[in-house]
Amino acid sequence: MIAEKYAKEIEGIIARYPSKKSAVLPLMHLAQREYGYTSESAMKEVASILDLDPTQVLSLAGFYTMFYEEPVGKYVLEICNDLACALRGADEFVDMACKKLDITPEETTDDGLFTIKTVMCLGACDRAPMLQCNMSFEENLNEEKFDALLGRLRAEATAGTPSFSVAEKMASYAVKDGA
Amino acid sequence: MSDLVTLTIDGTELSVPKGTRVADAAKSVGIDIPVFCHHPKLEPVGACRMCLVEIGMPMRDRATGEPMLNEDGSPKINFGRGLQTSCTAVVGEGMVVHTDTEAVTDVRGTLLEFQLVNHPLDCPICDKGGECPLQNLVMDHGKMESRVYFEDKRRSDKHVSLGDLIFLDRERCIQCARCIRFQDEVADDRVLQFHNRGVNLEIVTMSDPGFDSYWSGNTTDICPVGALTTADFRFGARPWEMTPSASICSQCAVGCNMTVNTRREARSGGKPVIKRILPRQNEAVNELWLCDKGRFTHDYVASPERLTSPMMRKDGELVAVSWDEALNAAAEGLQAASSVAGLAGQRLSNEDYFMLQKLFRKGLKSGNLDVNNRQIGGGDVVAQVGIAAGSDLQQLGKGDAILVVASDLHEEAPLWWLRVKQAADRGAALVVINGRSTRLSSHATHNLQADSGDIVATVRQLVSMAKVETDGTGALDAAAETLITANNLVAFYGYEGLSYEETESLAKALANLLLIQMDGEPHVGRMNNGLIPVWPYANTQGAWDMGIHPALLPSYKAAKMTGMDAVAMFAGAADGSLDALYVVGADPIGDGWMADRGKLGLLIVQELFMTKTAVTADIIFPAQSWAERDGTFTNGERRVQRYYPAIRPAGDSRPDWQILSQLGERVGAGKAETVTSLVFRSLTKAARQYKGMDYRSLGQVEAQWPVVGGDDRYYGGNAFANTAGLGKQWAAVAESKAVKQFEMDDAVSSREDGLLLINAASLYTAGTLIDKSAVLAPRMAKITLTINPVDATAYEDGDTLMVRTDRVTVQATAVVSDDVMVGTAVLRGVKAMNGTAVARLSKIKE
Ligand code: SF4
Ligand code: SF4
Ligand code: FES
Ligand code: FES
Repeated sequence: MIAEKYAKEIEGIIARYPSKKSAVLPLMHLAQREYGYTSESAMKEVASILDLDPTQVLSLAGFYTMFYEEPVGKYVLEICNDLACALRGADEFVDMACKKLDITPEETTDDGLFTIKTVMCLGACDRAPMLQCNMSFEENLNEEKFDALLGRLRAEATAGTPSFSVAEKMASYAVKDGA
Repeated sequence: MSDLVTLTIDGTELSVPKGTRVADAAKSVGIDIPVFCHHPKLEPVGACRMCLVEIGMPMRDRATGEPMLNEDGSPKINFGRGLQTSCTAVVGEGMVVHTDTEAVTDVRGTLLEFQLVNHPLDCPICDKGGECPLQNLVMDHGKMESRVYFEDKRRSDKHVSLGDLIFLDRERCIQCARCIRFQDEVADDRVLQFHNRGVNLEIVTMSDPGFDSYWSGNTTDICPVGALTTADFRFGARPWEMTPSASICSQCAVGCNMTVNTRREARSGGKPVIKRILPRQNEAVNELWLCDKGRFTHDYVASPERLTSPMMRKDGELVAVSWDEALNAAAEGLQAASSVAGLAGQRLSNEDYFMLQKLFRKGLKSGNLDVNNRQIGGGDVVAQVGIAAGSDLQQLGKGDAILVVASDLHEEAPLWWLRVKQAADRGAALVVINGRSTRLSSHATHNLQADSGDIVATVRQLVSMAKVETDGTGALDAAAETLITANNLVAFYGYEGLSYEETESLAKALANLLLIQMDGEPHVGRMNNGLIPVWPYANTQGAWDMGIHPALLPSYKAAKMTGMDAVAMFAGAADGSLDALYVVGADPIGDGWMADRGKLGLLIVQELFMTKTAVTADIIFPAQSWAERDGTFTNGERRVQRYYPAIRPAGDSRPDWQILSQLGERVGAGKAETVTSLVFRSLTKAARQYKGMDYRSLGQVEAQWPVVGGDDRYYGGNAFANTAGLGKQWAAVAESKAVKQFEMDDAVSSREDGLLLINAASLYTAGTLIDKSAVLAPRMAKITLTINPVDATAYEDGDTLMVRTDRVTVQATAVVSDDVMVGTAVLRGVKAMNGTAVARLSKIKE
């Protein structure tokens, strides 16, 4: 239960907002970090912490592509194929990536490492094709760069030393929030 | 007046209050602008674009600020470049609106074409077909031919159960969010939301149980397509096949106006059956809404278990007999009895009560009359300082105050909860005093949680603080200050956790609060001020008014001799001092007031069903249900409202008043009455508060806003316009003369040692009528007993407990929680337990 495990952290997040319910997105991130995805029970937990109806949390999970309602792989490759990216070959890039990993969008590789999702504009249209993984942008992509990315992530997974921590990333946002 | 704005719509000049939306202004002069997402009771969102019109404003010279004129001297109007959504646009002085230009017509056609891109067009099997805004608008403005490929239509789930009461057809949803906004803004049950985006947007619920709200049925009325349907009506009938009958809900003291839709069916032998119940507009009572209990409880009317013939006990068996035989036997038996008493339920009509008291007082010369499940007193106080005639809770807002004591309105009188909450949303101060927190607490300006044993004392303290200007800083001081300085003040009182005697003191204490005269006028005798009792049943008020009381005659005149009250009757039946008991629409054995018929020499029961009391009776009269007859109910705001027959009577049943008057004729109470309207006329002579009312005046209507019920069906939803009567409120004494402060008795505390049992109401609590509702069955309240951890040392959550009071024994599931105070136990899911009973608990071994 995140309420107990992260009591202090949650208290701090809630304190940042004038109204408790505004803390819903950071808490959903926290729940997703904990459980790997925003499962039904995770959404219910968040709702009960913030006195919301679970339906309200579900609605947010459905609206934002950054929340996963189904289990995902260790690395989620969110490839933008919105209009601007599509004009710079995003659809072809998605096809290539899928073929390479032998999955279709929304699917996860058998080794549980990668999930591919297509998403709406992430605001990096000028550097398309692009994707987001673990809250970092990978831009101006092509097959070669994609291979390199996969290689790096695989190595990381084997070594068990992630080069990147969602928690840190979130903490950096928190500072920005306060400023 | 500066608060009015004058504009012209399609050549019609009109003045409307500042802030009015253009679409509403147009509707007010009979110009229908098509809408989907807009609803007059919801905040505008401008989501669907159906209401686009041309809107122009007078031009002004930039330099001088003077209005610019055309050559003919008329003001120059600037229509801007595009069309505007009239549901969001606010009226402006001199505004000119065109709703019927080519540009408008064209865009309507285009928008409807878009709406139909993914709409399944399964009108022939859709419940909404025939009263569907989308269907109607396409017929009026649609392009009849689409440029979109049929094969590209989005396919989706068509039978999604949102909980047990409501079904969703995802293909039909046009994403207007009326249902979501109703749940958020009106009902405050945020259990419906959108999920996903764009074309994949869909309605979801994740509450437990799904769509957990007492208001869910209303979303099916305002959904502009057939996406939301009730489990009750789904695939039940086509709208045009049904006959509407005006009615009044018989399920609580609010008295919501409703329309019963019936259809003749082969399976009922060609007789009309109830297909659904819809709200009927009465802005002073229920606006456009009904709670789900009122909407879905009707199944009992058509139950095969209904009593259909008079019965008498012969050789120990109850056998069917003729009306004459049963009536003659009853008349003889009652006249021969050494003592008689009458006990009535609290949802009979005024006409029934009047004939009952006439039978007893005039025919049988007995004043032994009372209601069953007598839980709350103070009707005499209400007659003095009740909320004034002409009041409308919708008018309360900033500067006004509402006090709610010892009642959980959400469970007991849902529509009042809704209207009180909305008044608080509009800025009215809300003070809640109860032994535990309720759904209303979170909306309260001052939420004062008092130990249930101390509620009356707390209120008395509040009253004394209000009387003198204190500079105290306590919560109670602040609440007193808020209440006494309010422009308008309405006080609700209930009976949660209180004995009958305590409710009487509470009513007086609140009356004294309302009567305090500080700088302004007292809070009685004028509109939107006064006392409202949260009666437990639909016509408790009528029982008071008609003298179903051992000490009060109709008109609240004191009887010369006080008769037996219900408690005395039960004791008399047990020890043999009462010979004959006549029970109308009540089940004292089933409700636990009597263990059995005791030593009664004669027990007569007038009922719909073979209740536990009826089973032991000597004579049974089958009564007609509320849907089979006409009559009047008087709600807790003393509004006398008329209901009309919707279906034919079950078997040989007769209306209660008729049975009582035919019996009365046999015992010398005067000639039997033949028509309900004439019974009403007689009762207005005895109950002088009803003077001047008759069936015609109760059937009168006046224009209401918002306008609903027109052919369009898209503006206010499927609620029926009121054409059958808004009813009339009778005037409390304080409206014509000064009322003095009430003498308070010394504080009564009937509290004994042990756990104080508080019977908390649940809307869906088992009872003779609601038990027959197939739709509500899965939602019926579980019987639970909540106790504080301090008191629960021997019990755990989920234990099965036997709860015993002096009167009844029930099995309840334990809930251990510090929501309840130490020393109290909150029992839910059981009706009419005595407020101050002491609970004795024992655990049932598994
Ligand atoms: S279900 Fe009906 S009311 Fe709700 S969004 Fe869809 S069309 Fe509108
Ligand atoms: S609030 Fe009361 S009167 Fe209105 S529908 Fe519900 S039960 Fe009936
Ligand atoms: S369209 Fe892909 S980042 Fe903007
Ligand atoms: S945008 Fe005005 S009714 Fe929907």
